[in-house]
Amino acid sequence: MSQSAVLDAGLRPGTEPQDPARRPLPRFFGKGVLAVVLGLYTIYTLGPFLWLATMSVRTTAEISAAPYAWPTVFRWEQYRTAWESGFAVYFWNSAIVVVGAVVVVTLIGAAAAHALARYRFRGNRLIYSILFSSIIFPPQITLISLYQILVDYNLYNSLFGLALVYISLQLPLTVYLLEGFFARIPQDLFDAAKMDGYGDLEIFWRIVLPVGMPAIATTLILNFIQLWNEFLFAVVLITDPDKRTLPIGIRAFMGDHFQDIGMIATGVMVSVIPVIIAYVFFSEKLIRGMTAGAIK
Amino acid sequence: MAVVRLDKIVKRYGMGGPVVVEDVDLTIEDGEFMVLLGPSGCGKSTTLRMIAGLETISGGTLSIDGRVVNDVPAKDRDIAMVFQSYALYPHMSVAENLAFGLRRRAIPNAEIDRRVKAVAEILGLVPLLARRPAALSGGQRQRVALGRAMVREPQVFLFDEPLSNLDAALRVNTRSEIIKQHNRLGSTMIYVTHDQVEAMTMGTRICVMNAGKVAQIGAPLEVYWQPANTFVARFLGAPPMNLMATTLDGARARSMAVDAPLSRWSEAALVPYAGRRITLGVRAEDLSLERPAGAGIGKLRGRTVAVEPLGAETLVLVALDGETEITARLPRQVMVALDQELELFFRPEAAYLFDAESGLAIAPREDAAAVIGAAVQRRAH
Ligand SMILES: Nc1ncnc2c1ncn2[C@@H]1O[C@H](COP(=O)(O)OP(=O)(O)O)[C@@H](O)[C@H]1O
Ligand SMILES: [Mg+2]
Repeated sequence: MSQSAVLDAGLRPGTEPQDPARRPLPRFFGKGVLAVVLGLYTIYTLGPFLWLATMSVRTTAEISAAPYAWPTVFRWEQYRTAWESGFAVYFWNSAIVVVGAVVVVTLIGAAAAHALARYRFRGNRLIYSILFSSIIFPPQITLISLYQILVDYNLYNSLFGLALVYISLQLPLTVYLLEGFFARIPQDLFDAAKMDGYGDLEIFWRIVLPVGMPAIATTLILNFIQLWNEFLFAVVLITDPDKRTLPIGIRAFMGDHFQDIGMIATGVMVSVIPVIIAYVFFSEKLIRGMTAGAIK
Repeated sequence: MAVVRLDKIVKRYGMGGPVVVEDVDLTIEDGEFMVLLGPSGCGKSTTLRMIAGLETISGGTLSIDGRVVNDVPAKDRDIAMVFQSYALYPHMSVAENLAFGLRRRAIPNAEIDRRVKAVAEILGLVPLLARRPAALSGGQRQRVALGRAMVREPQVFLFDEPLSNLDAALRVNTRSEIIKQHNRLGSTMIYVTHDQVEAMTMGTRICVMNAGKVAQIGAPLEVYWQPANTFVARFLGAPPMNLMATTLDGARARSMAVDAPLSRWSEAALVPYAGRRITLGVRAEDLSLERPAGAGIGKLRGRTVAVEPLGAETLVLVALDGETEITARLPRQVMVALDQELELFFRPEAAYLFDAESGLAIAPREDAAAVIGAAVQRRAH
C-alpha cells in the first residue's frame, strides 16, 4: 500500500493510526549532537536573511558605518518609500501573473494528473512520457521560439502572455508530481463515491482534490516560489517598465539606486515576504493537519 | 423488494482477453443473504462489482426486480457496497462519511441528519461522529463502512470480504452484527468471502465459485452434505474431504488400501461405472479406529505419517498405498504412533462418489435422503 498516512487514514483497516514517517532516531545521534547540527544549519541559512532584514530598516549611511550591527532605529518608512518608488507596481504585476498562473497550473495539472492516474485510455502512457521528457530539458531552450510565438500572437510584452508562458513552464512537473500521488489513492475510494451517487467530475472535486491536498500544497509552494523568483523569461518577454515583475523590477531598482544598499535591501525584502507567507500557508504539514486530522 | 438475477453473466477483460467470470446463473431472492464463496482469484469480486455497476458486463443479463440494469450506472441502481478496505473518505468526519451518499439524492438536510443519527445509534457510532477515520480503530472503521451503506437504505447491500482485515474476536462480533442488521432490515444482501466459516454461519444460501464458474448453489448444510463435485467437497469442511482413487467392483469401491460397500447408491447409478475408476470421498470426521456396528462398513488401510494433537481432537495423517494421503479426525484420547499400521472405518452413509473424470458427484439413490437426514441429526446434536 501507499506510504502516506493521509491516504491510509480511512483505508488501511485494522492498524491503529500512526505516522509511518516518524521513527525513533538512531541512538548515536544523541539529542545534543542533533541540536548542534541543526543550530549551525539554521544560522547558516537564516543568517543572510536576517542580515538582509536588519539592513532593510537601516539607512545606507548606518549600514556602511557598521554593516553587521543591530538596527538602533527601525526605519519602517523605508518600506513606504520603496513601495511608492515602483515596488507597488512590480508587486501587483508579479501577484497577478504568478497567482493567476499558479491557480491555472494547479487546476489543469490536477485534472490532467487525475486523468493520467485513474483512467485507462489509448495514449495515456505516451502523454505521460512526453510530459516527463519535457521536464528533463532545460526550459531555456524554448526561450527563442516562445519569444517568436508571443510576438506573432500579440502577446509579447503583456502580463497575460507571460502568465501563459509560466503555465506551460510549470505544468509538466506539476502533472508529474501530482500523478505520482494521485495514483496511490486507492481505487476503492472512487468506487465508494460512485456507489454514493457521484459522477466523475464531482469525484474530482470532492475526493481527489481534498485527499490530494498535501501533494497539491507542495506543488503550490513550488510553483509559487519558482515563478515569483523567475527572471529569465520575464526579462526577455517584458520590456514595458509598467509591466515589470518583481525580479526585473529589483534589477532596475538596483540600477537606479546602486549605491543605496539600505533601499535595495528594503526592496528585496518586499519581494521575499510573500514567498515566506506562501510557505507558511501551504506547508504540507499544515495542510495535512487540516485535511486528515492525522497529526496527534 | 429486490430480486437480483444473473443470467449467463460473463466478464472478459479486454477484447479476446481472459474470461474471468463465465456463464454465471444465479438468482438472489428478495431478502436473501447470499454468500459468494470461493478461493482467491475465482471471480467473486468481479461478479459483485458487475452487480454494483463498477465493472462493465461482457455478456449475459443482470436484472434487479425484472429491470435489466446492464447499462444502468452504479449510482442509479440503488445498491450500497461495503469494501474490504472500508474505503472511508479520509478527509471527512464520520458523520460526513455517513451523510455523503445522501447529499446527491435530493434528500432534505433534516432527513439526512435524522438518518445519520439513527444509524449511528444502532451501530454505536454516536461518540465517534466528529472523528476522522484516521482516529478510529479497525473495528470502528468497519462499523462506519457498514453504517455508510445502511443510511442509504438501499434495495441491495453488497459486501466484499468486509471482515478479512479484522482480528479473530472482532470478526465474530461483526459477523453477528451484520446478521443482526440483515434480520432487522430484511434487505437483499450479497456477501463475498473466501472463508467457509463465514459462509456457513451467515448465508441463507451459498454460491460456491471456482475458476469463474458456479460450482454449486445451495443452503449451507446442503452444500456441505451434498457437494455437487469434488471442488465443493474439498472446499467446504476443514480438513477438506478425503478423496481416494478407486475402482468400482460390483457394489464396492476398491483399491489396494480401500474397500467400501456402496449401499447408498442404486445399482442403476453404478452400472455406467462398472469396472472403471471412480473417486471415493470420506470426510475426516467420519473416520474412526473402531469398527462401528452394522453392515456395509467401509475400510481403509495405511500408515500414519503425522499426528497432530489439537487438544479437543487429534488429526492423524495417513498414507494409503502409493501417494494418497488422507486425514482422520479422531477423539483426543486415541494414542497412535508415527509410522504405525492403521485400519480406519466409516459408516456407509459417510461415503461420497464422484466421476473420476468430470469430478461430478454421483447421486445416491432417492431413499438415501433418509440416511442423510439421520446423519444430519446425528451430528447436529
Ligand atoms: N482489471 C483486470 N484486468 C485483468 N484481469 C483482472 C482484472 N481484475 C481482476 N482480474 C482477474 O480476474 C480474476 C478474478 O478476480 P477477482 O474477481 O478479484 O477474484 P476474487 O475476488 O474471487 O479473489 C483474477 O484472476 C484476476 O487476476
Ligand atoms: Mg476479491
